[in-house]
Amino acid sequence: MSEIALLYNNLAVGGVLFALGLIGFLVRRNMIVMFLCAEMMLQGIALNLIGWGRYHGSQVLPGAWGGQMLVIFIITVAACEAGIAMVLILMLARKSGKLDSAAWQDLREEGVPAFVDRQVPEERIEDRVWPHLTPAGIEPPHDPEEFIHRPRV
Amino acid sequence: MTLLAEMALDVKHLCQCATFWSLVVGVVGLCLLLPARRRFGKWLGGLLLAVAAGLLAYDLPLLGDWLGQSLYWILAFITLGAAVATISSQSPVYSAIWFATSLLGAAGLFFYNGAQFIGVATIVVYAGAIVVTFLFVVMLAQPEGHSAYDRLTWGGMPKVLGVVTAGLLVGILMQSLDRLKREALAPVTAETIAVTRANLAGEGGILNPKHMATLGRHLWTEQLVSIELAGTLLLVALVGAVAMASFGRPRLGDRIDEALQITPAAQTKDGVIEGVPR
Repeated sequence: MSEIALLYNNLAVGGVLFALGLIGFLVRRNMIVMFLCAEMMLQGIALNLIGWGRYHGSQVLPGAWGGQMLVIFIITVAACEAGIAMVLILMLARKSGKLDSAAWQDLREEGVPAFVDRQVPEERIEDRVWPHLTPAGIEPPHDPEEFIHRPRV
Repeated sequence: MTLLAEMALDVKHLCQCATFWSLVVGVVGLCLLLPARRRFGKWLGGLLLAVAAGLLAYDLPLLGDWLGQSLYWILAFITLGAAVATISSQSPVYSAIWFATSLLGAAGLFFYNGAQFIGVATIVVYAGAIVVTFLFVVMLAQPEGHSAYDRLTWGGMPKVLGVVTAGLLVGILMQSLDRLKREALAPVTAETIAVTRANLAGEGGILNPKHMATLGRHLWTEQLVSIELAGTLLLVALVGAVAMASFGRPRLGDRIDEALQITPAAQTKDGVIEGVPR
């Protein structure tokens, strides 16, 4: 397997993953989704670092393990960031009642006009689809007297 | 070796470049696919993104053997496809689940590159802990599931500008790796492959069976101070999270006072309130 080709593939996939996270962070308004996208950008960078580490290892260059070390610390910092972000989001959601980041636009710069939703769309019926759990096991036999007497009540 | 681009960018080369067209098609597809007030381009956007993925995969240099190549393509497709679904699904619950799927694909890519520990840590830490925490917060803060601000984003123009910015970023990155790509497209002899393989599988290499032992040795010798710092950082983040979560709540004593409706007459002269344990 050509190591340079693998490095190039890793860099391309990592770059596209970073760009997708960037799009999500810029475009979405839900604070949870925004932080998920921040984590996605970190994943793209981690893929780059691991690709470079492998390439250095294949060419006997120094720093073959440095990429993996950096990714370990990225994961650590991401865990800290997620914990703090969860608390902040929970506090903000407790105060404003929603996860919308536009609810905090009072913090915007001076002179910038306020963002107003012009037309809020109605929710469609096909959007109200939730995941279903597969029924598992056998329904136990019911005692009909238990329904009548309700002995535990 | 220098990796930066040496070829100047001109229109003719740009029009012949499959990556460029892949980025253009992908930007249009993402603009259609992202949540909007009216959704008419869901299927069209998905189709355009599939075309973009195909063009990108066509332009990437081949890895050499077909089994490894198809495995890499499948893993990359899972990662990127689930990432697109994360940013385009309208419910944050589905977003979190798609993000977990994308993480599984990324962990697969880490395994493919020989980083065993990182792959397992990604699954355990990200998919096991972080995504579940996100789901908890979604359930706590937005129990009704759907909301209007997930269906409309910041509006049409900011959406298009954001997608185009990210597309330009990827384009610049790809262009700057021009020379690396030409080296990757050059034919590789079997000897070179054997030498790099032996380097990787040798003593202290990434593909050596003693991968974990070598990783632990590097982690606890060269990076010892960093590991201690990372542990301290985790502790500080934990304390900070607890402190912020309990900030602003009335204390127990204050709540008891409020419940008892203490009047000034009920206080003794040294300020201790009768009947309330302190």
